[in-house]
Amino acid sequence: MAARGDRAAFVLLVTPALLLSLAFYFWPLSQVLWISVTEPSPGLGNYAQLFTSASIAHMLATTLRICAVTTVVTLVLGYVVAYALVHARPLIQRAMMIGVLLPLWVSVLVRAFAWIALLRREGVVNSVLLAGGLIDRPLPMIWNEFGVILGMTHYMLPYAILPLAVQMRQIDSALSAAARGLGAGAFETFWRVFLPLSLPGLVGAGVLVLIFSLGFYVTPVLLGGGRTLMVAEYISLQILELLRWGTGTMLATTLVLTILLALGVLSRLVDLRQLFGAK
Amino acid sequence: MQDFATDAAEIIAREKHRVGRRRFLLGAAALGIAPSLVRRSLAAVPEVVLCNWGGDAMKAFAEAFVAPYEKATGGKLVLDGSGPSNGKMRAMVEAKHVTWDICDSGVAGIGELGPRGMLEPIDYTVVDRNRILPEFGYEFGVVNYMFSTVMAWDTKVVKTTPTLADFFDLKKFPGKRMLRKDSQAMLELALMADGVAPDKLYPLDLDRAMRKISAIKSELLYWDTGAQSQNLLRSGEVSMGWLWHTRANLLKLETKGGIDWSFAGGLVQPGLWVVPKGNPAGKQAMVAIASMQDPAGQVTLLGAMGNGPGNPQAASMVPDALQAVDPGTPANLAVQAKINAAWYQANYGTALKAYLDMISS
Repeated sequence: MAARGDRAAFVLLVTPALLLSLAFYFWPLSQVLWISVTEPSPGLGNYAQLFTSASIAHMLATTLRICAVTTVVTLVLGYVVAYALVHARPLIQRAMMIGVLLPLWVSVLVRAFAWIALLRREGVVNSVLLAGGLIDRPLPMIWNEFGVILGMTHYMLPYAILPLAVQMRQIDSALSAAARGLGAGAFETFWRVFLPLSLPGLVGAGVLVLIFSLGFYVTPVLLGGGRTLMVAEYISLQILELLRWGTGTMLATTLVLTILLALGVLSRLVDLRQLFGAK
Repeated sequence: MQDFATDAAEIIAREKHRVGRRRFLLGAAALGIAPSLVRRSLAAVPEVVLCNWGGDAMKAFAEAFVAPYEKATGGKLVLDGSGPSNGKMRAMVEAKHVTWDICDSGVAGIGELGPRGMLEPIDYTVVDRNRILPEFGYEFGVVNYMFSTVMAWDTKVVKTTPTLADFFDLKKFPGKRMLRKDSQAMLELALMADGVAPDKLYPLDLDRAMRKISAIKSELLYWDTGAQSQNLLRSGEVSMGWLWHTRANLLKLETKGGIDWSFAGGLVQPGLWVVPKGNPAGKQAMVAIASMQDPAGQVTLLGAMGNGPGNPQAASMVPDALQAVDPGTPANLAVQAKINAAWYQANYGTALKAYLDMISS
């Protein structure tokens, strides 16, 4: 009886949220899907562009390349920080945590402008390097893919560090100690014991960062100097300016499906609830 | 992508009154919802809702257009600053729930919306063809104000007044160059730099324009918003650039001539009033458009925002101080080319796509 009552209460509690997301999320999304197969004419013509349009192929390749590089760089840097964080003394841990969380609350726009101030031709970094005689002409550090990847990596780091740290905290430190006791060196202990145990966190953080990167809009627009056209900007151009809603919604649908697929793969590999700290 | 009207609204917000961003957004939001809250009166003259790009352009438009219209007709003209992008207008028309009567749009607006049957034709029995340049009165849009895309340069690097051809001469004037991340006006200026006569531009030779631009592609930066174009020149990232005359003039003023610019070799483009299909006020929209053709209001707008009057009869009323920055004075028109909207109607999508492919590859 009690179990049934719990169940009813559960359904009652979940229903409003479910109805809300049905009305305000799934319904509009289904319309996006609908437009993508009906405009300008019914069928899969829009989706064929994925394979026939050179400019869409080029734009998608740019998007994937930038997102892949961002993900790899973010994971490497994030892993190092997370490793240092979980092995630090509690006080240092807290300080590091603030350092990781603080940028999360700074607007993505502000961060992009900060990078511009630092990296532009007459910016802080180039001025210092020129004055120090280390270079004889300004380095091109923004208005290119390097700048975009730098800005995106900076934005993504907390999203890699936090799940990685959660995962690493759960690794029993006795295991590493045992490996050392049995004669393994520091590197071997890390490589054969710690790294494999932290792998689910690495995969989870990787998929998370990749998903966020795919939809990035502001950073590529501001730091790319107009040369790096990624999928989010391309979609907005099709919808708002050119009124090619078929093409725009097709790309949006493709993006959503790609992300769902990535999440599906992720849920097979790791426990999502654990990854997002719900457990 | 930002268009000229949005940028003009931004300039006035930042430069003239320096309102806080918070107030700016609150104001725009309040004004954006206001029209839907106002119950349409059953009076003889239906209320007309004019949608522009918000900010303090609201104030300039109110002074230049609303007061004279209401005085003359006894009707109401309500401003909505929520920004009539092509996408929003299309969504409204398709949902058959149009709340705007007149929208502040441009050549790309009539080019994309007109052929799709989403705009009402301009009624030239009400709107006066004698109060516009003949080139800028179209079936689905009529000139409201004029702006130009011009060349500006950093006088530290470019010590003599350059020609458009010099823009492509990296030896003569070193430094990066700046273009807009939109083919509109960029193709025209590139073709003129390549020797095409201003009155022989259309139909645009796309391949030739692309070849010309891609020859210096490694030295090009592209701006998205008007503010960005100003930043790139001001901070020395580029030595020469093509941008809107309003931003070029602000640069010249704030650098006290450190950045200079000229209308010579520029392209005049019209800001256009368009009327979405099935607009609530019906024909009254045309009456309001006709009322806004009055030169006095247009000169007020020039003083406030730098947008040149669309009515050539305003020229004699423009104060001397503003003559030099008005794209539409006979002297300034003579050294510029004029955009051809018919070409854009048929080719804008293709041209923009080719341009974006070129710069991003």
